[in-house]
Amino acid sequence: MGKSKIHPDQMYIEGLAANDSAIIQTIYKKFVPKVVMFVMNNSGDKEHSQDIVQEIMILLFNQAKANTLELTCPFDAYFFLLCKRKWLNELKKTSNKGVTINEDAVSMNESAIELITHTEEFDEKQQLFDTMFLKLGDKCQELLKLNFTTKTMEEVAEKLNVTYGYVRKKKSLCVGQLTQWIQEAGNFKSLKNN
Amino acid sequence: MNEERYILFDQYLQGEMTAEEKDSFEQNLSHDHELALEFDTFREVQLRLKDKFEFEEEREAFKANLTTISDKHFNTNKPKVVVMRPWFYAAAASIIILFGLFFFDYNNPTFADYDDPEPASFVERGDTNATLKEAQTAFNDGKYAAAIPLFEEILKENKTPEIEYFYGVALLEESKYPKAESVFNELRSGTSAYKEKATWNLALSKLKQKKYAACKEILETISQDYENYDDVEKLLDELN
Repeated sequence: MGKSKIHPDQMYIEGLAANDSAIIQTIYKKFVPKVVMFVMNNSGDKEHSQDIVQEIMILLFNQAKANTLELTCPFDAYFFLLCKRKWLNELKKTSNKGVTINEDAVSMNESAIELITHTEEFDEKQQLFDTMFLKLGDKCQELLKLNFTTKTMEEVAEKLNVTYGYVRKKKSLCVGQLTQWIQEAGNFKSLKNN
Repeated sequence: MNEERYILFDQYLQGEMTAEEKDSFEQNLSHDHELALEFDTFREVQLRLKDKFEFEEEREAFKANLTTISDKHFNTNKPKVVVMRPWFYAAAASIIILFGLFFFDYNNPTFADYDDPEPASFVERGDTNATLKEAQTAFNDGKYAAAIPLFEEILKENKTPEIEYFYGVALLEESKYPKAESVFNELRSGTSAYKEKATWNLALSKLKQKKYAACKEILETISQDYENYDDVEKLLDELN
């Protein structure tokens, strides 16, 4: 991936990561109407399309913040296809009818398809991670949060009124617990592989 | 759960191992495929945790902003269904024409047609700066003359494009053209999110002074990506 040339539309990704209202508004104005049309022509309504777009925007924000989103194709195609596939997947979930997702292989270049696969994998992993995190006990959740928002582990220990040794060990085990569950759920490949 | 293993992973990642411990750990990783996979997952979980907490506030702010923009976008597109009887159309039309004859100058567009400053909302984001709050209230109540010195005070300490922008709008409302235009020009040459908005207001400043040619010239430099480009097109149309 690293070697492919970054598309100038990367500005949209950076704008999302920076919560730049002007950029977000531009995305709504320029790229969202096409998604609305598609959803409405495929058994959905306006509210559905609004939700789909919002989910994809949050996904892109998260991926941009994790520094793993480098556009190598126009934003237009990338964004539309992500929304389209998300909507078709929603339809699949709610109806028993089989929905075939036509890969727009003809009109899409390879780098766009690769990028979309990458984003969808990121999404899947994020959802798995979020589910598993909520399964953790309150103590683990609190300790991990403090650990990643406080400068030193000594401070964490002080806040929780326990020893440094306890915090140090407990943190490894909490991350370990998450690792084990995610590993068991399978297919949690390293991001590095993409 | 294999506690020893996770403690080891973490020690390695935190750089708490001695040189020998590190060597032997890396040796194990290269021989034991399963261990290596689990280590990769452990490392990625750490990354996700970091992203989750480090950007939590930013993420919430983004979601809130997104919802506002999204609601605005989808509502403005909703067709409004108003049932009117034919006589009502006629009555409404005649009232509009009467008003038009009395109040509007048909030859040229006026500043008043486009004078619709958006409300300022700096303070809602957990800010406790009293002056800022006062400035916001004054601005949103249309007390621009009162807002101007407050903005000036704030800008001495905290010069952000957002504050500058609202300061410029207040100046324009009070017809302090040279000052307002210098603020807008500065924003216009910058790269902030207020770039296009500032350009639009610069054009409005010319409009208010009835400098139509200058107004038009500035309007033509506004990018089509500007969120209220409809207004730009409308005004350009009226100027032609």
